[in-house]
Amino acid sequence: MSRRHRPLRHYLEAYAFLGLLIAATVFFSVWPETSETFTSAANLRSLISSNSVIAIVALAALVPLVCYEFDLSVGAIAGLSSVFVATALAGGTSVPLALGLGVGLGVFVGAVNALLITRVGVNAVIATLGMSIILAGVVNQKTSGLSVTGNIPLSFSEFGSSNWFGIPKIAYVLAVVAIAVYYLLGHTPYGRYLYAFGSNREAARLVGIRTKLTLGLTFVISGALCGAAGVLQVARAGSADPKVGETFTLPALAAAFLSAAAIKPGRYNVAGTLVAIFFLAVLNNGLNLAGSPEYVSNYVNGAALIVGVGLAVRLGRRQEV
Amino acid sequence: MNGVSTVLSAERVCKAFGATQALDGVSFELKKGSVHALLGGNGSGKSTLIKLIAGVEPADRGEIEIRGKRHDLRSMTPALARESGLHFVHQQRSTFPELTVAENLAIGRGFDTGFGARIEWRQARRRAAAVLERFQIDAHPDQVLEELGPATQTMVAIARALQDQDADAEGVLVLDEPTASLPAPEVTLLLDAIRRYADAGQSIVYVTHRLEEVFAVADRATLLRDGTVVDTVEPSSLDQEALVELMMGRTVAQIERLRGRPQGRPILAARRLSVGPLAALDLEICEGEIVGVGGLIGSGRSTLLKALFGVRPLESGEVCIDGEQRRIDSPPAAMAAGFAYVPEDRQKDAAFAELSVGENLSLTVVPDYWHRGVLNRRRERRDTLGLFDSFLITAESEEAELRSLSGGNQQKVVLARWLRREPRIILLDEPTQGVDVGARAEIYELVHRAVAAGAAALVASSDFEELARLCDRVIVLRKGVLVAELRGEDLDAERIARVANAEVVA
Repeated sequence: MSRRHRPLRHYLEAYAFLGLLIAATVFFSVWPETSETFTSAANLRSLISSNSVIAIVALAALVPLVCYEFDLSVGAIAGLSSVFVATALAGGTSVPLALGLGVGLGVFVGAVNALLITRVGVNAVIATLGMSIILAGVVNQKTSGLSVTGNIPLSFSEFGSSNWFGIPKIAYVLAVVAIAVYYLLGHTPYGRYLYAFGSNREAARLVGIRTKLTLGLTFVISGALCGAAGVLQVARAGSADPKVGETFTLPALAAAFLSAAAIKPGRYNVAGTLVAIFFLAVLNNGLNLAGSPEYVSNYVNGAALIVGVGLAVRLGRRQEV
Repeated sequence: MNGVSTVLSAERVCKAFGATQALDGVSFELKKGSVHALLGGNGSGKSTLIKLIAGVEPADRGEIEIRGKRHDLRSMTPALARESGLHFVHQQRSTFPELTVAENLAIGRGFDTGFGARIEWRQARRRAAAVLERFQIDAHPDQVLEELGPATQTMVAIARALQDQDADAEGVLVLDEPTASLPAPEVTLLLDAIRRYADAGQSIVYVTHRLEEVFAVADRATLLRDGTVVDTVEPSSLDQEALVELMMGRTVAQIERLRGRPQGRPILAARRLSVGPLAALDLEICEGEIVGVGGLIGSGRSTLLKALFGVRPLESGEVCIDGEQRRIDSPPAAMAAGFAYVPEDRQKDAAFAELSVGENLSLTVVPDYWHRGVLNRRRERRDTLGLFDSFLITAESEEAELRSLSGGNQQKVVLARWLRREPRIILLDEPTQGVDVGARAEIYELVHRAVAAGAAALVASSDFEELARLCDRVIVLRKGVLVAELRGEDLDAERIARVANAEVVA
């Protein structure tokens, strides 16, 4: 059995996106318009740290997505967490407690999502969309629409803006989260069940998988990760912007979708999500530095999502023959 | 009418997919007013041939002559096929179950519209009634399609394909495995209808892997194996065994029914089971026994298996395994009690199509590979390759997607997934549906092997021939009530059918 023999095409499919990420990075490094600014340490660090938070939100969305369920409340949960954590910190709460508060809020909202979806039977898109609107209301009520600034402990915001070995500390947090999600999806029975569930729900039930528990847990995990992302956002910005959560949802979901077009074609996966996040980040950052107007990045993000997912679907279809 | 005129002939058709030669110089001729079967197992190339003729895929070589007009199959298109008078009814459902018969028929030809693009419903209904009469279909234009029996639904699909054809039936009807998802009694209904259409002058190409249907309906049959024509025969001049040998290229050992085998202790005792159509059913199964469940659709055949596997909650009754009463309210509970379940509809209820063969095989035992926080992939792979051998599974590799396998191999994967757990009781619902003759014999052998090792099997099937061949005894259900138990000399397909249909009370 020639297990390791694979056609070249397979490698092209798997690594095309990674190639694009490298190509874009090289391009902006040598293009005269951007070569100086793009390669500056400050720019690269800010690019990495700001996208690390979004990447964690994307990994959160990835977990239910493996089951073919959408969690549209990822950004809202991160926003909720950041506002409450910033307020608590400003009020003198200790850092570990505030961290627990952020993650705990995420778990709570995720559990409510899970109950609505698996027990009440509300469609996941509807449940999480409704939840995200409610959470926007909670945040607004809490902040009156104003940023939460003030007494954030210095040690906390320093963590968000300093480096280890020249790389932002937040990136290490992302690495830990990514490894944890990779382990969960690829190396535990639970991860196997998630992919099985995403492939054929009824068959999953008939091989003895506890479907409600399996699906419900994905939303709890997603909530916990978003809560953590909210905490990191406070550390990075030194404040909590009530609007920031909303801006996470779409890029995070887009990257989670795009992951099916990279590394493991046809399957939503962790490495693909990271490649997609940083490909879009580099592209946007480079265009920005080149002085292109802001709407160009909208065009780029939208087109990348459609083309990427379209390609993934086509690849999947061709393998069917 | 000239009885021997040729309506359609395909000549030297070739098609390769990568390195695989799917078709190699295949030719056949269809005579007017006859049913010509294209017969072959999975991977014989029969579906590919139909796709080429339909213009869905381009051929590498080959020509087709329809009603005296020649076409190059390299440049065939679906539109050209339609123009030439070819009408296709494909295996997959192409009708709309929630719409009425009249709507289904009208969608095939376009709606007549009146003022303001309003659909002329009265006219559509009248036309539908005429079509139903012409094709002798027992249905009303206003009936919703899904209310009809599956065979009647297929007839509606055929009528839709043929409705615009001139009355003298010059076109060719191509049926691609129309009975693939029909239960046995419905198959008979459909075959009768097909025979009627042929006798009325319709020329029909009939693609199938079921021998019985070839004998029942075909005037001539072209046998395909590995992309080449083995022979073209008249089924009436052959017996079934000779045809199987031609098709497989080898003698298929008939599975001996091991009647009178010593049987062990009782494993399963179910008392007064009531669920859905089943009313107070008692059932006992012993070690080493294969028990069949016969009956028509709605007799409670499938419901019994679903109830025992915890898919449908019991309304009342109790289930004992090895003398111990077990509460079976979910599949995990059933699995813990020693049940395994191979569902009726593989695509819908058992196949993880885009997961690998290895993953499909492991899903019932994943926790066994979970050791000290890691999944032992190496052991999993070794076990998978072992299962390939012991369960006669042919796959490119353990990483191949399940959907790349033939139907027979997919079914063996599903079976292996369960038998590797060494269950006490194996519940099998239509274990060989959509499986070719060779794989069918292998599946029987695998079930026999598992049962010989001390398990027991409960097999529900609409194919009574299968029950008679495979089982030690067969219980027959009618409207949820056990009406007969056949064993030994009394056990044959005809008797099961008679009891199931209530013509005779045994």
